[in-house]
Amino acid sequence: MAQHVPTANGTEMTGATSLVKSLEAAGVDVMFGLPGGAILPAYDPIYDSTIRHILVRHEQGAGHAATGYAQVTGRAGVCIATSGPGATNLVTPLMDAAMDSVPVVAITGQVPSAAIGTDAFQEADIRGITMPFTKHNYLVTDPAEIPGVIAEAFHIATTGRPGPVLVDVAKDALQKMTTFNWPTSIKLAGYNPKVRPDSQSISDAAALIAQSSKPVFYVGGGVIKANAHAELRQLVEILGAPVVTTLMARGAFPDSHPLHMGMPGMHGTVAAVTALQKADLLITLGARFDDRVTGKLSTFAVNAKVIHADIDPAEIGKNRHADVAVVGDVKETITALIPALKAALAKNQPDLSTWLRQMNSLKSTYPLGYDLPEDGSLSPQQVIERIGKISGSDTIFTAGVGQHQMWASQFISYEHPRTWLNSGGAGTMGYGVPAAMGAKVGAPNATVWAIDGDGCFQMTNQELVTCALNNIPIKVAIINNESLGMVRQWQTLFYDSRYSNTSLDSKRVPNFPMLAEAMGCVGLACDRPEDLDKTIEKAMSINDQPVVVDFRVHRDAMVWPMVAAGTSNDEIMIARATAPDWDSQEL
Amino acid sequence: MTTNRRQHTLEVLVENEPGVLARVAGLFSRRAFNIETLNVGPTEDSSISKMIIGVAVEGHSLEQVIAQLDKLVSVISIKDVTPKAQEVHDTQPDYQN
Repeated sequence: MAQHVPTANGTEMTGATSLVKSLEAAGVDVMFGLPGGAILPAYDPIYDSTIRHILVRHEQGAGHAATGYAQVTGRAGVCIATSGPGATNLVTPLMDAAMDSVPVVAITGQVPSAAIGTDAFQEADIRGITMPFTKHNYLVTDPAEIPGVIAEAFHIATTGRPGPVLVDVAKDALQKMTTFNWPTSIKLAGYNPKVRPDSQSISDAAALIAQSSKPVFYVGGGVIKANAHAELRQLVEILGAPVVTTLMARGAFPDSHPLHMGMPGMHGTVAAVTALQKADLLITLGARFDDRVTGKLSTFAVNAKVIHADIDPAEIGKNRHADVAVVGDVKETITALIPALKAALAKNQPDLSTWLRQMNSLKSTYPLGYDLPEDGSLSPQQVIERIGKISGSDTIFTAGVGQHQMWASQFISYEHPRTWLNSGGAGTMGYGVPAAMGAKVGAPNATVWAIDGDGCFQMTNQELVTCALNNIPIKVAIINNESLGMVRQWQTLFYDSRYSNTSLDSKRVPNFPMLAEAMGCVGLACDRPEDLDKTIEKAMSINDQPVVVDFRVHRDAMVWPMVAAGTSNDEIMIARATAPDWDSQEL
Repeated sequence: MTTNRRQHTLEVLVENEPGVLARVAGLFSRRAFNIETLNVGPTEDSSISKMIIGVAVEGHSLEQVIAQLDKLVSVISIKDVTPKAQEVHDTQPDYQN
């Protein structure tokens, strides 16, 4: 929220102008949206505003773009849509932002207040619809309330555990005259997120760490949201214990760091999964014991005590009992924990050498890898790995959802926070392209690659038109295996290779390069390993237009390792019907 | 039938605003918490309403019900007023978010 008093304070204006002045006062510099009848009064003052409005081709694109923008900048992303279908098209991105704790403010128009409840044209109860997955939402029918509600919306979205807030404004509230008054303070009796952790919980955590012999840092996306990566690295190096970073935390700790065991979970590394399973202490920082990480909960890390640090008290004990709960901002938590741990270690320095040797042995014995296709066709993992290598560690990557997403999390080395954006909790196919658009707007000097699937790409590629027309030169790699690849993998493994409705035939239709060209992008294709690097380099050389590369890859590649849904992490497979050779490991 | 089914009564102060009943009822529904009884009435402060909620805790801890309830911005405070319960869950500030 801007600290200064807006010059418009005390001025008479329409509710619509008040809305736009409020967004300006909240510090908004860009919003993604698409107008329609109910929100139309707001679009007139938008025409004159300093806020850059990017006209999307589908409201879902606006929502994911706002999410991508927010994940890259750390500021709230803003999307705007009209009533009815415009608003309901924001439902998926809002649910997505809620699951991944992304600060997004959505503005929707509503039918005039006298028409609410009459099944009016383009009427939808969007406040009711979005209650389950917004942090809070509003229906405004009095124009005088607009500045206060907008100020509250940004405050709620960006503080505590971040999340989406929706503000639905009736058309007559936009049209009526009001006096603009930006609030000087925000008072919400029912909202007071606890930021500073209790000192007792910090000293309890430090004592527990000093007593452990097999500790592991279980790092979640909260560390990135709190900008706590530098503090995390300091804390880790003081203790010298292994680290795992969840799908939402890739980049929170450098992949190249020797203490990094990789990503845990359903497609995690053997070392990361085993580190959690065999630990005697989980130092959980901004993570939430998601089922994709724990596997079958009753068998998860059964010998481990748990320190659970999270800003959301409702996460403590939700899935797993916490022996020490630390409620607060994770940056403040780690900052307080560093001296406390140093003091505790001065009294009792645990010997972690055996534990580290065991984990390093697993890390070197079971690195992530893949076989090249025997028929000489393109390997999807290799495509993604080479894009990562050639574009470098300052590149921002987004992904859709499925095999390509898992490979992008596995085979690209993330060294910095906010360089890996994906739909973790919601698993929203189609997230990749619009999120890349928002990321590029938020970080215009960065190279932004969307690693997408041929299925995902066909859900939201229309935003490439938006990119082409608005000078948002993203790069898109379609990992085209002509299938809904992850679903097909499950059919291979669990449904006797009966491929019901997972074949997309997308090596025949659509012609992706022609589709890209039709949308004002450069379209490239690659289907031979010998052309791979030069195709990526060609895409890297084009920076004045969006680029789409159709990588036509081998169809049968699978994501490994894998912990099948509902099974124990102890059942991790490194290839089909192949478990790690536990007997050769001293565990 | 599970044997550890426990009854609790919560006194919840909420903002007196449209939709607040839907927020509370919807939370119980989507988190699979059980409401046995629900009573809403006014308080001396016309901007605040009081809900008396009978909760059957089954498969969740009471702490989890209270913590989720307290995440609702419209919820101001929550007290466990179960007749036999000695402890009072003051939501300032541990359960605030």
